[in-house]
Amino acid sequence: MRLSSSLEVLPTCTLEKTTNLTQLAYRSKQGSCVMARRLIYPLYQAGNPQLKMFRPPFALTLVRPGKEQPPDIVQFRIPMEMTKCDVRNYLENIYSVPVAAVRTRIQYCTNKKRNHLNQKVKRPDYKVAYIQLGQQQTFSFPDVFQSMDAKPPEGSADDIQNKFMEDEKQRQKPDPRRGGVTEWFGL
Amino acid sequence: MAATSAGRVLTLCKQFQNAIRISTSISPQQAAFNLSKSQSYLNRQASSLVGLTWHCQIGNRGQCRPLHTTVSRRGLDEFFDVPENWGQSTVKSGAPWTAKHLRAKSNEDLHKLWYVLLKEKNMLLTVEQESKRQCMQMPSPERLKKVERSMKRLDTVVKEREDALRMLQTGQERARPGAWRKSLFGHVYWYRFREHAIPWYMNKRYKRKRFYTPGFVVPHIRLRIEKHLRTRVRKANTEMKKQAQLQEKFPPMKAQS
Repeated sequence: MRLSSSLEVLPTCTLEKTTNLTQLAYRSKQGSCVMARRLIYPLYQAGNPQLKMFRPPFALTLVRPGKEQPPDIVQFRIPMEMTKCDVRNYLENIYSVPVAAVRTRIQYCTNKKRNHLNQKVKRPDYKVAYIQLGQQQTFSFPDVFQSMDAKPPEGSADDIQNKFMEDEKQRQKPDPRRGGVTEWFGL
Repeated sequence: MAATSAGRVLTLCKQFQNAIRISTSISPQQAAFNLSKSQSYLNRQASSLVGLTWHCQIGNRGQCRPLHTTVSRRGLDEFFDVPENWGQSTVKSGAPWTAKHLRAKSNEDLHKLWYVLLKEKNMLLTVEQESKRQCMQMPSPERLKKVERSMKRLDTVVKEREDALRMLQTGQERARPGAWRKSLFGHVYWYRFREHAIPWYMNKRYKRKRFYTPGFVVPHIRLRIEKHLRTRVRKANTEMKKQAQLQEKFPPMKAQS
């Protein structure tokens, strides 16, 4: 039985013991990426001090919810190894976000797709966390790419092309005076 | 809304949260640029570590005004870039941290830098996912690779320090104990120990794992060795034949004076 670790950020001023520097948990060697290594937590027995993790290797991704969510819900994609307690401590200590509740689920992604060699390709699974914000805070996902839809400047090639396409489309449309009736009927 | 870029730099360190003095003439961004080398990373966070130490020095002389900074109201704003960079096609960023430069930093600085890099990575992952959702190109995707490399190098440096300290204090080379053991198929490998609450003779799963080669496997080990030697010799022979063919085709010419 593994108890969830509590992630705590060290006070910035003092580092008493040098062993606090790195992860207390050992990492098994797997690949070169920091994230890909498997963390092995030290054994916990009743009476042990609370496990602290320094320099957590977990990265969260804030995602726009696919389905409509209540205003106080924030949706994250988190690594599979993180638990609800881990997510709560992470957000509270590193980002100072008041977290009221955390709910997680694992999204299974397909292994059915095949590549050009007809081999099955697995899309990696991921864990989704729904964070309910505390202190009656709300969050709405902002529009990060808004200004990319700005109209191209006058006289540029893009602008001329757009206008041309609009004219062509206008020419293809039927006579609006016919009220939606096709030209098969009538004269 | 997110605090200004100056506020961002300052909020990263809790030490300077309550009372900080910045010179009115030099802004923190400029100060960081003047001090830091061209390799400093993170344009907008302006190599916060170097910048912050610079603040301490300049704050006491010249004109100062006390500035109270608070942690940004909603920490979730740190998952997104500075609003000026929204919708840009490229965002400027410097070179990643090298191990050489990281070794010059103190433990405290490395610890803080880890969290700076972690937050930056989270921000970049968020932007990447959003760009995929909107079917738009992510501005400057190379930033992710830079951050990941910096974090890996930081980890290496910290590990080096830990190893050195452990060697000095205890004489142990490895953090995790282990032993050389023979696998079922005759391979000798480094078996790394795991922590258990019970001794090994009470551990049923551990006892099922065998660290010796049974008698019926031993003849196959010799066959495997023979196969390996045969392939090695074959490779060497083909290489020699190839070289001989090339020599025949292109005889060695003497250099024309």
